Amino acid sequence: MAGAIGTYAQHRRGYYLYLVPGAIGFTLIVLIPQIANFVLSFTAWKGVGTPRWIGVQNYQKLLTDDQFWGSMIHTLMFIVSMTIIPVAIGVVLASLLFDYVRDQFGERVSNLFRAGFYLPQILPITTAGVLWGWILSPVGVANIVFKAIGLGGLAQNWIGDATWALPSVSLMIVWIQVGYCLVVFMAGLSRIDPSLYEAAQLDGAGWGQRLVSITIPLLAPEIFVVTLTTLIAALKLFAPVFVLTAAGPDNATMVPSYLTYYHFFTTQRVGYGGAIAVVQMILTVALAVIFLRFQARQQATE
Amino acid sequence: MADAVLDIADRSASKTAAVHGRRQRGVGRWLVLGVVVLGLLATLFPFFLAIINAIKTSAEYASTGPLALPRSIDLVQLQKYWDLSDFGRKLLNSAIISGCVAVFGVILSTLNAYAIGIGKVRGSRVILVLLLLGIMVPQESIVYPIYYMAKAVGIYDTQLAVIIVLTVLQSAFGTYLLSSVLGSFPREIIEAAEIDGANRWQVLWRVVIPILRPTLMVIGTFFFIWTWNEFLIPLVMLVSNNNQTVTLAMGLTRGQNLSDPVLQAAASLLGIAPTVIFFLIFQRTLTRGIVAGAVK
Amino acid sequence: MNSLSKLTLVATTSLMLLSSTAFAQQKVFNIWDFEAADSSNGITFNKALEEFKTAHPDVTVNFQLKTFQQLQASGSMILNSDQAPDVLEYNKGNATAGLVASQGLLLPLDDYYKSQGWDKILNEGDLVLSKYDDKGIYGSGHIYGISVYGEYVSCFYNIDMFDKAGLKPPTTIDEWVADMEAFKKQGITPLALGAVDTSGQHLLASLAYTKADDTWIKNYQGLKAPLDGAPYLYAAQTLVDWVNKGYISKDSTGMKDQDAALLYTSGKAPMYVSGTWNLGSFSSTIKTFKWGQFVIPTPKYSVGSTGNLWVVPKGSKNPDLAAEWISLTLSPKYQTELGNNGGVAIAADPATITNPVGKNAIAVFNQIAGKSGLGFYPDWPVPGYYDVLNQKDTGLFQGTLTPEQFVEQIKKVYDDVQSSQ
Repeated sequence: MAGAIGTYAQHRRGYYLYLVPGAIGFTLIVLIPQIANFVLSFTAWKGVGTPRWIGVQNYQKLLTDDQFWGSMIHTLMFIVSMTIIPVAIGVVLASLLFDYVRDQFGERVSNLFRAGFYLPQILPITTAGVLWGWILSPVGVANIVFKAIGLGGLAQNWIGDATWALPSVSLMIVWIQVGYCLVVFMAGLSRIDPSLYEAAQLDGAGWGQRLVSITIPLLAPEIFVVTLTTLIAALKLFAPVFVLTAAGPDNATMVPSYLTYYHFFTTQRVGYGGAIAVVQMILTVALAVIFLRFQARQQATE
Repeated sequence: MADAVLDIADRSASKTAAVHGRRQRGVGRWLVLGVVVLGLLATLFPFFLAIINAIKTSAEYASTGPLALPRSIDLVQLQKYWDLSDFGRKLLNSAIISGCVAVFGVILSTLNAYAIGIGKVRGSRVILVLLLLGIMVPQESIVYPIYYMAKAVGIYDTQLAVIIVLTVLQSAFGTYLLSSVLGSFPREIIEAAEIDGANRWQVLWRVVIPILRPTLMVIGTFFFIWTWNEFLIPLVMLVSNNNQTVTLAMGLTRGQNLSDPVLQAAASLLGIAPTVIFFLIFQRTLTRGIVAGAVK
Repeated sequence: MNSLSKLTLVATTSLMLLSSTAFAQQKVFNIWDFEAADSSNGITFNKALEEFKTAHPDVTVNFQLKTFQQLQASGSMILNSDQAPDVLEYNKGNATAGLVASQGLLLPLDDYYKSQGWDKILNEGDLVLSKYDDKGIYGSGHIYGISVYGEYVSCFYNIDMFDKAGLKPPTTIDEWVADMEAFKKQGITPLALGAVDTSGQHLLASLAYTKADDTWIKNYQGLKAPLDGAPYLYAAQTLVDWVNKGYISKDSTGMKDQDAALLYTSGKAPMYVSGTWNLGSFSSTIKTFKWGQFVIPTPKYSVGSTGNLWVVPKGSKNPDLAAEWISLTLSPKYQTELGNNGGVAIAADPATITNPVGKNAIAVFNQIAGKSGLGFYPDWPVPGYYDVLNQKDTGLFQGTLTPEQFVEQIKKVYDDVQSSQ
C-alpha cells in the first residue's frame, strides 16, 4: 500500500503534472503578452513595421497627461458603482428575496425575481449600450418621462453633461452588476442555518439587526469574493464607457482601458498605450494585494 | 462535505418554510413585494424598449421616435437584420465559442484547482497570485502580441484562437474559485480512496468531480455567459464574417457616418433572445452549484 | 459516457473542424465594403457586383459586408495578414489609407490607372486623396486607392417650415443667422446638432473653413506648420454665440447624430448640418415634408472630399480582377446608376441623372470641387483627432470651455503631432 503512494513529498510532486496545461496557457496568453507589452511601452510603434526604442519617454509623457490622470480619478469613482453599490444592494436584495419573499410568496416567485434581476448580466454589452443610449439621450425616455409626469425640472443632458455623464454610466453599470452579486449572495444565504435567525427573532431582533449581525458576517466569504472580482473589473472597466459615452463629454468618463484602446487603435501610438496598460496593471495588482491582505486579516480573526 | 452542505441547504429550506410560515400576513408583505416588483420593472424596462422598437418600420421611427408604441407589428427590420448579419451563423459561432470555452475552461480550472487545492503543491500561494494576475490583465494590453502569435501559428481569424485565449483568461477565475472550494474538501474521502488503491487521476475522476459537479456546472455557465458577451478579443481576432459572433454583429447597425436605430432595436432584440432562453434553461444550475461552496 | 464526457467530445470535435481551413478549388475573389445595403452606394455596388459575377462565371466572388467599427479598429492588422481580401473599401486620409500605404501594405495602382483608362475619367483633383508618399501623407506619391464617389457637408433644411416662415435658404452667414433668429422668435430651436458625433465638428469646421485660405488648408491638412487657430477661434466664438442665443440646444452635447437627425426628420428642427451620407436614408424616410439642402455660405472651402477608396492589398491574389472591379464602378453606366440612386457620383454628368436628389447633389459637389473647394475633414491631419474634436466640442457647447481654451487645447494636440513629424 505504501508503495503505491510513495513518500508524501513524492506524492505531492505528482500533482505538478496537473498544472502543466494551465502553466502553458498562462505563459502563452498572459505572461508573454504582458512582457511584450512591457517591452513595447519603451518604444514608439504604429502597430505595423518595426518598433523604435525611445526609453522612458512614454512614461514621462504619462506624468503630464491630463487624460491619464483623469482616468485614474474616474476609476476610483467607478469603483463605487461597480463594487460598493452592487454589493450593498446585492446583500439587501438577496436577504429580502431569500428570507422574506421566499417565505411569503414561495420559492418560485423568489426565483423569478432573481432571474429577472440577473437578466442584465447576460445581455451583450453592445446591446445594453444601445438601450441605455435611448433612455439617457436628452430626447430619450428618461427626460420624456420626467416631463410627462410634470417633473420637467429633473430632465438633464444625461450623457452630454460632464456633471451627469459619469453617474449615468454608473447607473447602467449598477443595473448590470446587481444580478451577479444577487445570485452569489442568494446561494450563500442558503447555507446559513435558519435556526440562527429563529434564535435572534426570539431575542427580539428586527430584520435590520438580523441582517447586520447574522447575515453579513456569515456571508463574509461570498462578500469577499464578489468584492474582489468586481473591484478588479472596475479597474479594467472598458465596454460600458465604450458603448455609452466614448469617454466623453470632454473626457469626463475616460478610463485607463479606454485610453489604452484609443492609443492602440486610433492614434496608433501602441508604445504609449502599452505604458498606460503597464501602469494600470501595477495599480490593479497593488490594490488587489491590499485587499487580499485585508481579507486574510479579517478571516484570521474569526 | 460539499454533499453535507447541500443536504443542510435542502433541510434548511423546508425548515425555513415551516418556521417563517407562521409570520403574520398584512400590509407589510405587500409593501415589500411592491418595492421589489418596482425594482424588477425598472430593471427590465430597457428590454421592453428593445421590443417595441424592433417591430417598428424605419419611417415610423423617423417620425415618432423611440418611445412611441408601435402602430403595427412590422417584422421587416428583424428579418432584414437577420439576413444582413447572417444571424443564424452568428448564433452558431457564439454558441460554439462560448460552449467550447465553458467546457475547456472548466477542465482547465479543475486540473489547476486539483493540484492547488487537494494536491497542495509547493508554491500554491504564488500560483494563486499569478492566476489573479490573469484576471487582472486588461485585454487591450494583450491584443497585439496575441495577434502576432496567432498569425505566426496560422490561427489568426479562427475561432480556435479566440477559444484558446478566452479559455485561459476565464479559467483564471475558475481556478481561483475552485481551489478555495477544494481547499476545504474533506481529506478523509480522498485518503479513503487512496487507501483503496486509487491513484491521483482516479481520485480526481471518480471521487472529486462527482461531488464537485454542481459547482462545475455553475462555473461552466458563468464562462458561457461571459464568453458570449466578449467584445474586444473577437473584434480583433475574428476577421471573416463567417467566424464572427453575435456581439460583433451589432456593429453592422452603425456605419461610418450613420446608424440605423430601428435596425439597432432589431439587433438588440435578437441579441437578447438567445441569452434569455439560455438563462431560463440554466438558472437552476446557477443556484444549486454555488451553494456547494462558493468560497471557503 | 456521462454528459460531461459527451460535452467534451463534442467540443473537441467541433474545435478540430473549426481549425481546418477550407481550400477552394477554383479562383476565389474576395471583396469587402462597409456600405449599408440600402444606401446609395450600397445599392449601386451590389448591382455592379451582380454584373461582375455574371461576367466572371469561372470565379467565386465572395462579398463580405464589414462593419466600419472593425475596419476602424483593426484595419491595419487585417491588411498585415493573409486574411486581407483582393480589394476592399478603405477610409481615405493620412491616418487610415496613408498609414497602411506607408507600411507597404497596399498595392500601388499607377499602372492600372493608365492601362484601365481611369486617367480619362478622373481629374487631378479626384486623385489628391488617392496618392500617399512614403510617410503616409496625402497629395503626392504613388496612387494607392481610387474613389468613385464624393461627399460633402451641407445644411439640410425643411422646405415647408421655411416657406411657412417666409424664409429662403441663405446665401451669406448673416442671412443664415437671420433665418435662425426668425425661427427662434417662433419658439423653435432652429439647428439640430449631435455634438457627441460628427455633426458637431462638421459644423465647427464648416464655419472655420469660411475663414480659411489656400495656405491654411494646405498647412492644416498637410501638417506643414503649427496650427493657426484663427479660423477655429472664429468658429468657436460663433458657435458659443449661437448656443447662447438659443439657435443650438445645450442638450446637443448628449445627442448622437441619429438623435439630431431624428429631430430633423420628425419635423421638429428646421435645419440639420450633416453630410451627403444622409441622402439615402432621408430619401426613404422623410415622407411628411419637402426637404432640401443648401451649401453653407463660404468664399471657397467646404467640408467635403472625394469618397472612400477602393484599395488593393499587397498580397491580393487577383489584382487584375480588382482593377476590373474598380473600372466597373467607375464606368459611366454605374456612375449614372449611383446618381440615380441618390448618390454623389464622382464622374457623372448631372444631365444624365434623373433622380432629383442625386442630380442636385452631384451638381453641388462638382461646383465645390470645380473651384478646388474641398477642404477635407477636420479630423484628418492627426490620428485620433476625431475623438479630440468631439471631446472639446462638447466642452465648448456645454460652456465648460471658452473659445480661447478650446483653440488652445486642440492646438496643443495638433502641434504635438506636427512637431514630431
